[in-house]
Amino acid sequence: MVAFRSLRPVRLAGAAALCATLALSACTKSEDTGGGGGSTPGTGGAQVAQTGAADGPTCDLEQYGAEELDLSNAVVGFSQSEKEANPFRIAETESIKAEAAAVGVKNLLTTNANSQLNKQISDIQDMINKGAQALIVAPLNSDGLEPALDAARAKNIPVITVDRKLNAEPCQDYVSFLGSDFVEQGKRAAQEMAEALGNKGKVAILLGTSGNNVTTDRTNGFVDEMAKIAPDVEIIAQQTGEFARDKGQQVMEQIIQAQPDINGVYAENDEMALGALVALRSAGKVPGQDVQVVSVDGTRGAVQKVVDGEMYAVVESNPRFGPLAFETLQTFLSGEPVQQDIVISDKLYTKENAADEVGNAY
Amino acid sequence: MTTTQQPTTLDPDESVSSNTMTRAERLAGLVQRRGSIVVLALVVLIASVSFDAFPTIDNAQNIAIQSSFLAIVALGMTFVIISGGIDLSVGSVYALGGVLAAYGIQFGSLVGLLLPLVVCGAIGLLNGVLVAYGRLAPFIVTLATLLGARGLLLAITDEGSTTRLMDREDWLTQLGQGTFLGLGIPVWITIGLFAVGVVVLQRTRFGHSTLAIGGSREAAALMGLPVARNTMLLYVGSGMLAGLAGALAAAYSASGVTIVGEGLELDAIAAVVIGGTLLTGGAGTVGGTLAGVLLLRVIQNVINQVGTLSSHYQSVVSGAFLAVVVAVQSYLSRAHLRGGKR
Repeated sequence: MVAFRSLRPVRLAGAAALCATLALSACTKSEDTGGGGGSTPGTGGAQVAQTGAADGPTCDLEQYGAEELDLSNAVVGFSQSEKEANPFRIAETESIKAEAAAVGVKNLLTTNANSQLNKQISDIQDMINKGAQALIVAPLNSDGLEPALDAARAKNIPVITVDRKLNAEPCQDYVSFLGSDFVEQGKRAAQEMAEALGNKGKVAILLGTSGNNVTTDRTNGFVDEMAKIAPDVEIIAQQTGEFARDKGQQVMEQIIQAQPDINGVYAENDEMALGALVALRSAGKVPGQDVQVVSVDGTRGAVQKVVDGEMYAVVESNPRFGPLAFETLQTFLSGEPVQQDIVISDKLYTKENAADEVGNAY
Repeated sequence: MTTTQQPTTLDPDESVSSNTMTRAERLAGLVQRRGSIVVLALVVLIASVSFDAFPTIDNAQNIAIQSSFLAIVALGMTFVIISGGIDLSVGSVYALGGVLAAYGIQFGSLVGLLLPLVVCGAIGLLNGVLVAYGRLAPFIVTLATLLGARGLLLAITDEGSTTRLMDREDWLTQLGQGTFLGLGIPVWITIGLFAVGVVVLQRTRFGHSTLAIGGSREAAALMGLPVARNTMLLYVGSGMLAGLAGALAAAYSASGVTIVGEGLELDAIAAVVIGGTLLTGGAGTVGGTLAGVLLLRVIQNVINQVGTLSSHYQSVVSGAFLAVVVAVQSYLSRAHLRGGKR
């Protein structure tokens, strides 16, 4: 009996230790370990919609069934999907908040689902219940938000989705989608890589988190474009670094071990690219000379590496949705039609412009 | 809900009749069992006074449906923890249950409902056999199945990239989305399951044995209780309930989303402990767990009511609650030990 009792605190301590480990591992997955400095969105970095996309299907108040509304009298809700623990999410939330203040929205409600789908559903339902008259949603997942969309639909509340696209009916389940063309980002990265390698070489891809359309699109865009423009560039490894810097570094170390004669690395986000640079240097390679690195995102840390000559190019994925989201919302709520798909034109940072543009990176 | 005394009278050393308990001890026991309900009532009262949008029917409906999935998982967890064990696999099993429901529905609604129950029950059985007959630590066994179930999920969804949708017209989908008397069907299912849970814990041999095993496994075995079989069944139940919760949640969102359930086991454990169940086993209530789940959900709701508060505070508040509850519990059980010479 005594012996049995004395075991119990140990079991408790074990539970506490495991909880701590789980929490830690969950954090490190998406943690930005510095170098972002994204909390100050530069004014020069606002998003611009692609002009070519202006002839797609549109949506207006009558089609959607909502009422005219002035934003300065409105309660607007913003549902963020993931913790603001990496430069992209930090810049995105900051931009929405800053623009809400600039437009003079009466009340901006903000929630963060912390990567839990059920929480995003309840966050959106809570904001609707709290009186939100328009919603900006950064969906955690393309599917599964149906109960939240239904709640908005029931009250005819317009929903603008940003960064990830929903598998739902535009102008019926939501008004419009604002985001980058991830396939195009992959293509542009392939073009830069082909140029960097002179159309010949061995390239490794650091994939993003699996089961995610961002990863799939950035991979397909890169692989297809490379096969088309530079068939002599061989893709010799594709492994996931889960969009995290430490994972990118680990995976890169393994790839160099297996393939020492590698010439290029395509990282599907900046964090993994920054990790890969560390791995390359510790393996005795000089990034920018022996191995060319191209990535997607446009965080300040990565653009600085382009300035320093360690990376060849960074394709931007602009997270500053605020101005365009509120402009779209205002246009829509005043009765004018808006595009259902608003594709953002992303910049490209190369050694020609990186030094001038680094201040605009997030 | 007052069966916590049950196992203590089974041990000859611990046979303290209730009239020798001091008033302070009885109060301590009451706080232990009913504390979460009192705190929940207080939080609801304060929130109702502070926020216009809180005490509305819409909001109550939202809180009810949003709590139901975690509540079902936490019900199984309550029994496992009362028996002195732990089930860390429920988060992954929940996600797997949802994916299996969305996968199975293409072969018929009944398959969509039964497939998650069978597979998740089998994972529970594996946990149960290893814990009860293999005498392995539940902590490690269920950690292994946590990883295994997530791996199985990734295997049947092409690394998580395939999300199967569920037809809205199907009765299985309606089990998640439909309403009855203003409340979602999952809420009624939850109420039903908790009612069954109360009866099982208080009125059946199985429930009494569970409490006895948590009080002292050796004593329960000496009394001739079927310790191993009972323990095994607890893990089967926990697995099936987690699978059912996942299936209902998938039906609710009409899709087998692959990214759900991470960390859900910790929420369930938190709800159970806040509900007054001892993490060391031997004492606990089903009703307390329900209050614990609602408390976690109401805290989240209140933080959304404030609107501008970063949702990081939700974890801070939930964590603080947990710390306070565990501290109070440990203080009370020490008071028990001193006061009743137990």
